[in-house]
Amino acid sequence: MTDVPLSRIDLKDRRFCLSYPPGDENLLWSIASVGIVQPIVLLDRAPYIAVAGWRRLRCARELRLRKVPALIVDIDEKTALMRAIHDNLARGFNIVEKAAVVDAMDRSGFSRDEIFELMKHLGLNPHEKVLSILLGIASLDAPSRDFIFRKNLSLRNAESLLRFEEKERRRILTALTGLHLTESTLREILDMLQLVRIRKGALAGRDIPVMESSDMLRSRLKQKTHPILSSFAKKLKAIRSAMALPPGVDIRVDPFFEKEYIDIILKIVNEDDVDAALGRISELVAEGHVRRILELTKGRIR
Amino acid sequence: MSSQKVEFVETPGSIVRKCPGTKHHICCGYQTIDLVEGCVLSCSYCILKAYLRDDTIRISHRPESIIEELNGMIDGSPRHVLRFGTGELSDSLAIDRRHNVNRFLVEYFGAKRKAILELKSKWADFRHLLPHLNPYTVISFSVSPQRFIDAEETRTSPVHKRLKAARLAQDHGCFVGLHFDPIVIYDGFERDYRYLIGDIGRILDPSRILWISLGTLRFPPALYGLLLMRKRRYLLSGEFIRGEDGKYRYIKTERIRIYRMLYRLLKDIDSSLFIYLCMERAGVWKEALDIDMKDTEGLTGLFDERIKNVYGGTL
Repeated sequence: MTDVPLSRIDLKDRRFCLSYPPGDENLLWSIASVGIVQPIVLLDRAPYIAVAGWRRLRCARELRLRKVPALIVDIDEKTALMRAIHDNLARGFNIVEKAAVVDAMDRSGFSRDEIFELMKHLGLNPHEKVLSILLGIASLDAPSRDFIFRKNLSLRNAESLLRFEEKERRRILTALTGLHLTESTLREILDMLQLVRIRKGALAGRDIPVMESSDMLRSRLKQKTHPILSSFAKKLKAIRSAMALPPGVDIRVDPFFEKEYIDIILKIVNEDDVDAALGRISELVAEGHVRRILELTKGRIR
Repeated sequence: MSSQKVEFVETPGSIVRKCPGTKHHICCGYQTIDLVEGCVLSCSYCILKAYLRDDTIRISHRPESIIEELNGMIDGSPRHVLRFGTGELSDSLAIDRRHNVNRFLVEYFGAKRKAILELKSKWADFRHLLPHLNPYTVISFSVSPQRFIDAEETRTSPVHKRLKAARLAQDHGCFVGLHFDPIVIYDGFERDYRYLIGDIGRILDPSRILWISLGTLRFPPALYGLLLMRKRRYLLSGEFIRGEDGKYRYIKTERIRIYRMLYRLLKDIDSSLFIYLCMERAGVWKEALDIDMKDTEGLTGLFDERIKNVYGGTL
């Protein structure tokens, strides 16, 4: 191990850089407190090329250190890349880093079998389709990769995001970045956007509205992808509102209006509650509210 | 036609079974002979893509045990005239000329005279079977507008060839079936179906159409992702909901509208045509066709009656 001046390291040569995100506040604090404990691995070239320790190097630069402890190795590039991967393997990679790993291996000329073997150790299904998604993630611009990392996207959702054109993806990120999104909500939103895109040929700005919450966005998109269903839901809401159901009486309707029947639910404490509820239900029938709901469930109106 | 691998296999267990149907929907009581698994036609919406492990075509190669199974089922079902088909996990005719998989069945049903074999296909060539055909084999074709076939059924025969093939079967004394399945909503589909039904009226003899099924597009969730990924515009134009069986299908009010339209157009050709809905709800039967169809038993009964009327009690 030796101390190497930062000026002798080519920090622009990032061929072995796999870490994402590049910064780490805890590491910065740690190095500021006790210095770099574990040496950085450098490839013996002029200038040196960093193999492992990119985050430590970034912290060193931020802290304006002039020298860093380093281990100089003289190995070929494929071995160096494997060293970089194994140096980080124990801590575990996030999805963006996994994408960077397979992309770097692909670029360095590793065979499919070698890449698939490593994918198993990254907890990935060693399959051409998975590899293609990861290579797609690695090719994305920085904001898209950052979104994938911050929202902790699954491969499935990352794949959905990859299906959009760059311009569309930028709009989607603008609409989604500030929202709280579960995995399934995000999947639903991306699927709906994809559906609109397939039907229209491309997504325009107004197809990707910026809304206050994921529920509002989902609801707005649903109106585009499911206009009849949305209109039924609106009609049902209006009927419910006109019915003014008393406490203890509820009417449940299949959300897809597929089941012909409706459920009328009563919550009763005594016999008088039953009489009152049945009396009110009779009034609702006489007023035509129940018939109007059944017209929706039987598909009689559009 | 295709470079898919074909394997002859000794399928363990029974390959003759009741059509599984689907929960909360009325099934026609069909029986399937899963003689071939996999299909060379590779239609973009095919549910086999979601179900089968690979694209190898597997042909079950044990005619004696299949006939034994058929004998057991036909002789054990005196109440109904059983209808069998080989087109559930494959296309009945697409590889038949090359591999001759159906001939023993055609001959068996011709000799048995107690049940019906339906060869359901999108492939219009069955001339190799002509010398063996008999009234107990129904040649059936799925029919769709050519515009849809060009987009989503690219390896299949054009619809006019299917209709001409159906006419050829009729001219050789066979009954034919037509399956409007899947019926697909896309821009201008109403006009395309009107033209298609007009062609059917001109080309075919309605008195020798044994049955016509109507079934709108439906598929399992696994296929929905594939359709999105492959950007199948024709298949994704309509408004889908998840049915009670978990499958995607058009929203009910649209299904009713389509069935009504097609039913009326077909009945305009000949009011005696036997038309049924494939895997639909009792409520849709009522709203679209004004028929009180309660369950699978009810529909099976209608088929029995139809067959009795057409075959004159010889079955």
